[in-house]
Amino acid sequence: MASKFGLAGGIPERRVRPIWDAVDSRQYKPALKLCTALVVKHPTSPYALALKALILERMGKPDEALCVSLNAKELLYSDNIFHFDDLTLSTLQIVFQRLDRLDLATSCYEYACAKYPANLELMMGLFNCYVREYSYVKQQQTAIKMYKAVGEERFLLWAVSSIQLQVYFSSGGEKLLALAEALLKKHINSHSLHEPEALALYISILEQQAKYDAALEILSGDLGSLMGREEDKLRLQGRLHAQASNYVAASEIYQKVLESCPDDWESFLHYLGCLLEHDVNLPKASTGEHSCSSCSVNSALSNKTCLSEELVESRLTSALSFVQRLQEKNSSDCVRGPHLANIEIERQRRVSGDLNDRKVIEALVKYLHRFGHLSCSASDVEIYLHMLSDNEITELLDAISGSFDSSSVSVNALGLTITLFKVQELLGTLFTKSTTELQGIAKRMVHTFYKNLPLSNDLDPQESMYGEELLSMASSILVQLYWRTRNLGYLLEAILVLEFGLTVRKYVWQYKIILVHLYSYMGALPLAHKWYITLEVKNILLESVSHHILPQMLNSPFLQQAADLVRDYLKFMDDHLKESADLTCLAYRHRTYSKVIEFVQFKDRLQRSMQYLSVRSDSVLLHLKQKAESLEEVESILENASNGARLVELSNEDSMKHLTFNEDLQARPWWTPTSSVNFLSEPFDEDAAPASYRAKVCKHKSNEKYGPKLKDAERKSLVPRLVYLSMHGGASFLRESELNGACSDVTAVGEMKTLLEKYARSIGYSIDDALSVVLGMSSGKKAVKDFAPDIVSWMSFAVFINAWNLCSNESVIPGTDGSSPNSWQIVDNLVKICIDEQLTDANRMLTSPGNNFPLLVRMVTEPISWHLLIIQSCMRAMAPQGKKKKKGGPSERPNIPHLQAIQTSVHCIADTLQSVQTWLSDQMRPEEQALDILLSQLQGTSAEGPGQISCILDESSAMANSEIGGRIAQSLESWSSAGVVRRIVGAENETVAEFHKICDSKLKLLMSESASLSAMLH
Amino acid sequence: MVCIRQATIDDLLAMQACNLMCLPENYQMKYYFYHMLSWPQLLFVAEDYGGRIVGYVLAKMEEDPSEPCHGHITSLAVLRSHRKLGLATKLMSAAQAAMDQVFGAEYVSLHVRRSNRAAFNLYTSTLGYQIHDIEAKYYADGEDAFDMRKLLRQPQAKKHHHHHHHHHGPGGCCSHDAPPTAASGSSPQSSNSPDKKPSA
Repeated sequence: MASKFGLAGGIPERRVRPIWDAVDSRQYKPALKLCTALVVKHPTSPYALALKALILERMGKPDEALCVSLNAKELLYSDNIFHFDDLTLSTLQIVFQRLDRLDLATSCYEYACAKYPANLELMMGLFNCYVREYSYVKQQQTAIKMYKAVGEERFLLWAVSSIQLQVYFSSGGEKLLALAEALLKKHINSHSLHEPEALALYISILEQQAKYDAALEILSGDLGSLMGREEDKLRLQGRLHAQASNYVAASEIYQKVLESCPDDWESFLHYLGCLLEHDVNLPKASTGEHSCSSCSVNSALSNKTCLSEELVESRLTSALSFVQRLQEKNSSDCVRGPHLANIEIERQRRVSGDLNDRKVIEALVKYLHRFGHLSCSASDVEIYLHMLSDNEITELLDAISGSFDSSSVSVNALGLTITLFKVQELLGTLFTKSTTELQGIAKRMVHTFYKNLPLSNDLDPQESMYGEELLSMASSILVQLYWRTRNLGYLLEAILVLEFGLTVRKYVWQYKIILVHLYSYMGALPLAHKWYITLEVKNILLESVSHHILPQMLNSPFLQQAADLVRDYLKFMDDHLKESADLTCLAYRHRTYSKVIEFVQFKDRLQRSMQYLSVRSDSVLLHLKQKAESLEEVESILENASNGARLVELSNEDSMKHLTFNEDLQARPWWTPTSSVNFLSEPFDEDAAPASYRAKVCKHKSNEKYGPKLKDAERKSLVPRLVYLSMHGGASFLRESELNGACSDVTAVGEMKTLLEKYARSIGYSIDDALSVVLGMSSGKKAVKDFAPDIVSWMSFAVFINAWNLCSNESVIPGTDGSSPNSWQIVDNLVKICIDEQLTDANRMLTSPGNNFPLLVRMVTEPISWHLLIIQSCMRAMAPQGKKKKKGGPSERPNIPHLQAIQTSVHCIADTLQSVQTWLSDQMRPEEQALDILLSQLQGTSAEGPGQISCILDESSAMANSEIGGRIAQSLESWSSAGVVRRIVGAENETVAEFHKICDSKLKLLMSESASLSAMLH
Repeated sequence: MVCIRQATIDDLLAMQACNLMCLPENYQMKYYFYHMLSWPQLLFVAEDYGGRIVGYVLAKMEEDPSEPCHGHITSLAVLRSHRKLGLATKLMSAAQAAMDQVFGAEYVSLHVRRSNRAAFNLYTSTLGYQIHDIEAKYYADGEDAFDMRKLLRQPQAKKHHHHHHHHHGPGGCCSHDAPPTAASGSSPQSSNSPDKKPSA
């Protein structure tokens, strides 16, 4: 178009180039200067204006940018426009996109396409606009237009992809598939297909319609040669045959796959499934839901065949001989598949008949003898371990431990030792051992780790060392010992073991993650945070890994650090969701149609993330907590968050139904399988069988979706709006009642009621029942303990009820009337009772991990903050305003009963906070004293009890120079158990001090409010 | 039990988790996406049973039209628990084969840290790579890189180097899209505007 003649958007290229150069090098000021001159010279050029808008947007002036780009748009629409080209449009599109106004960009392209209907470039631009808006129907229509105009294969495939998206994302779109198929067929008849991705798309359209035979026919024809890798083609053929219930053909194809890829486990399972004719064989769902390997044994077992026992036996025998042939042909250690297949076949035999069949255990022993030195071998056989009887477990452990020689130092011997330990860990047999035995095992693990360190001396420092798993397992045993005995020394040793490992090599992420949890549990959050930061979590891992630290940080006094974590997470998610459509455009352009679908699905998955929903509320709440002592700042935070309204919309019932959970829970320690569960805070059950723990872990993981998390997220999303309405409702009531006694904003009162009903429901109550609970607790008639898990929510509820009562026309609290100050007392009493109770129950932080410190922090930073905000806004409303004061008048008289109620409340909260302060000061011990207390936990006198492992660690590091040498010995020079314990003391003190600071600033505010109240009342 | 298969976008979570466990990488997610969208045929994961991703290879076709058509291995990772199973070799072979068969690459190149002996040995003795050059201070921390190459087929006479089995848009085989430098943050849309200017 125009640019062909050295023109850009109708302006000579040489005049535009310097502007772009300046933009590219982020020299926005000079760019704007040049561009302003350009606009003067070409006042009617939409391109010049679009360019200016782009620069303004980059300079962070979105309002001006929007204004200028709208001018450009208007010029484009005017009749006398001469240069109407894609460059102008694409520049404008970029500006509109960055301003979050995709609709404007689309309408520009729509207008242009209507004006120049034959212009392919413009149509492609329009298509991309629809891709960015996820308007699949319009995408399809535009693509078809392009296809009709030029007959190119790619445009047809764009249309077909758009159809597929409609089918995936809207109900009842299935009949469109027939249309897609017909379009493709017609095109193939005249032009054939030329790209592998086009073929894949065609096949998937057929597969979606269950036209498996047709798909198979195509694959075996000429078009089949488009498939790049033969084994991919075979796998696809196998799947299609299986879905068409052609089990014989399918199993033959899978046999072929296995002959060329004997280690392809998925294909083996399909092969076996087809032999037994129970293979459902659906493509893997990519839901990203939580699962754990121990659960999968149950689902694997659920497939039952309908074949007769004899037939099953004969088919399994033929499978076995096929697998044995594969084993003979692939003798290297690299191919484990056919060997594991042996176990699976024997398992199937057991499922279909003889329960006393010994062949499963024989196959297991054989496998572990052959591959036991590999570090993946224990997890390879995990699901089979769980089906063994107690006798079989003993037999297996005897069989494998008998063959292991743990005295020699070699990589293979070490591997075997680790496998033996791991098998026991997976089986849960450690839970049944005595404390003394467990201690012995942990010691042996630490010793074996140390003894084998020379093996790793020659490895690069970044390379994982041999035997790293040993310290993780030892630490895990020590945690179990702590759980059983409640002896703090064990917990310290669990930490020491991992810190020792990280002193040897500072990159072991497994150690770091467990330490994050141990330190969090100990109340040494700064150390947990420090290790988490060294993981350098970024990109998509922010979604899958943040759960290790975020929940603890959100309930901590470290508001700024928590806000930083939240900001990084949201930035990643927001950016991805914004940019994802651009990548989808790229996929269309590159003709990777399968990726188009994957991309849109992936975006959808992230968009519906439970964590994303939850953290968006957390972000606003954190800001509110941070600035809770300044009314102005809180108001501006709320304003930027649409006064909480958007968050309320986000948590509507519909969206809550379809959330995704993308957290990777696998790496969490066994004792806290999800962020809301901690076994250590429950008593240890001496009699529980290992299997029951496994079942418990599975239950927690699969319950994540239905558990209290959803309710929490919903409740959190209401809080900013409730805070906003409370601040404004209460204040406006006071102001209005002073002036003319009129009732306040009716709609706000109604909205508050709706939100409070929702809030109460999220705690599991109707609003009336919730009200009577609050009244009961505040009057001492109901025990706070009975409502413990949600106590902070109850306190906030009381705070909002008070505000609602203030602005509501009629009394909302039974037994009081609207203007009565009683609702203040309810809050005062409840806050005092709840906090007093925590302080009485609270143990010394240092020696009682998992205490209620986080709960106390939440009480102060949430309900008390909200309450103080209401007080502040009431005070501002009632304060005599400068101008009016001079005029004087009867309406200026303060509302004495309310002022008195507020004054009482201020005093009550101040008293309560002071008692918190006293408790906190009591927790802060001089470092040396605190150190002595903790170290004394490690000085067991007898051979029993904690202290032995820390000795081993200290002795090992002292001997490392002579025994280990090399860089490892060097890194151990800095090791000291006492040093680690000292850091724990420091971190706990830091946590207490941070909370102290928060209380301080609240007390300061209360003092000044109290002073103004006294002035107003006298 | 390890199956080498093409990566999907959902694999990204697991692939990045591999990085956490192996070496931290500094690529932005866009960089992975860019590979995935441009050369999906070259991106493989090693999937152990149970669907666990234990390794991956990220590769691309080089885009400089002045050089012969060749591929480049961007990143290779295998979990510690799954070393010594030949996975790295399998992943590399799959990527190399696809470069050859799908794109007609003449050779494949890669960079390796001078100090990374394990990787160097894998590339030279197992996979047949040779040192082509040494790039001084290639890595951000100042370490040198070996520029290594492996021939996939005999160089062809100076004719245009791609068979158009797979070609992207007007730019020819190797797309003319934004350079995949992670740091520049180039947005893919830039290539769509005629002067390749917007979104620097």
